[in-house]
Amino acid sequence: MSEGVKMSIKLFIITAVAALALGITHAVTEEPIRLQNEQASMEARKAVLPDAQEFLPVDISEYRDEYPNVIEVYQGKSGDDTVGYVFKVVSKGYGDDVELFVGIDAKEDRVENVSIISHNETPGLGAKAAEPAFLSQYTGKSADSPLAVVRGNPTQDTQVEAITGATITSKAVTQGVNSAVEFYSQVLKDGGADR
Amino acid sequence: MKPLKVFFNGVLNENPTFRMVLGMCPTLAVTTAAINGIGMGLATTFVLVGSNLVISLLKNFIPQKIRIPAFVVVIATFVTVVSMIMQAFLPELNKSLGIYIPLIVVNCIILARAEAFASKNSVFLSVIDGLGMGIGFTLALLLLGSIREILGAGTWFGMPVFSDGFSPAIIMILPPGGFITLGLVLGLLNKLTGRTE
Repeated sequence: MSEGVKMSIKLFIITAVAALALGITHAVTEEPIRLQNEQASMEARKAVLPDAQEFLPVDISEYRDEYPNVIEVYQGKSGDDTVGYVFKVVSKGYGDDVELFVGIDAKEDRVENVSIISHNETPGLGAKAAEPAFLSQYTGKSADSPLAVVRGNPTQDTQVEAITGATITSKAVTQGVNSAVEFYSQVLKDGGADR
Repeated sequence: MKPLKVFFNGVLNENPTFRMVLGMCPTLAVTTAAINGIGMGLATTFVLVGSNLVISLLKNFIPQKIRIPAFVVVIATFVTVVSMIMQAFLPELNKSLGIYIPLIVVNCIILARAEAFASKNSVFLSVIDGLGMGIGFTLALLLLGSIREILGAGTWFGMPVFSDGFSPAIIMILPPGGFITLGLVLGLLNKLTGRTE
């Protein structure tokens, strides 16, 4: 047998064993990974809408064109009560897309909480948007009108203070919250999803 | 004596970052904060020990002429398997180290140690070498990350180190700060150890 054939066979054995190992690992881990992800996103939804006990996905396919930034919507229920909605929205940040969860309290018509799922903003600048110091500004904002970003101290209820040196990120997050608020007030409010 | 020598060779004499100048891409990218340096360093140590182990076990099976593709397949498989197992069964560890694991596949330290050490030495020494190199890499990243975080964000491991009046030099946590810090530290170490041309 020539050297070339021998080497080909050995390399084939190595890749075949590697493929087998990967296949087995995938088969074993697929289900646990799915459960982990589900639990993680359940906890993330719970964090932005603590009053809800369970979250039912809302079919938003017919609104896809009108609200391209709204990725997923969940109806937060406690017993038979609809306590609010959780929105997964995406917005264009400074580095890349910023993905956030926005929880809206349907009883009070206000923003309950906002959390950032993923971002690629500048560490020390835009990345500060993921900290409670910035995000807590959205809690309690009315879901009736869009929010605006200002530099320095906000003078009105509909304003949030930008992070110093990261106005673009601050605007991106606010825009994400606004698309959730708009979707809520245009489509879901007053039992829209129960139609 | 030999294992100790191999270990400290990785930590000091042949420190992957400051001596071999390997794996610069992850080094510059993740050292924006001290904690990132530790995370990347420990994840790399883990993979390095594992891949050195597997490569040294296979060293007699892998033909010399096709060793590079064979190493790449083995390392990529090992990293992917580790990453999947962590996601599935170690969610806490995955949360802190998970984002670094995919970056390790492109870290040339792993391939360099497979080629330079694990393919020529015993299993035991290869594991020690992986450990030493990994810890050397971790310490280097911790040093760079600490400098950049303290100067660029005014914090160390997230805790403020200056009074409120301090305004951090943001450039230090941006990419240029990575190059500046690495260059100065490398130069200083060369000066201190008398390693000049």
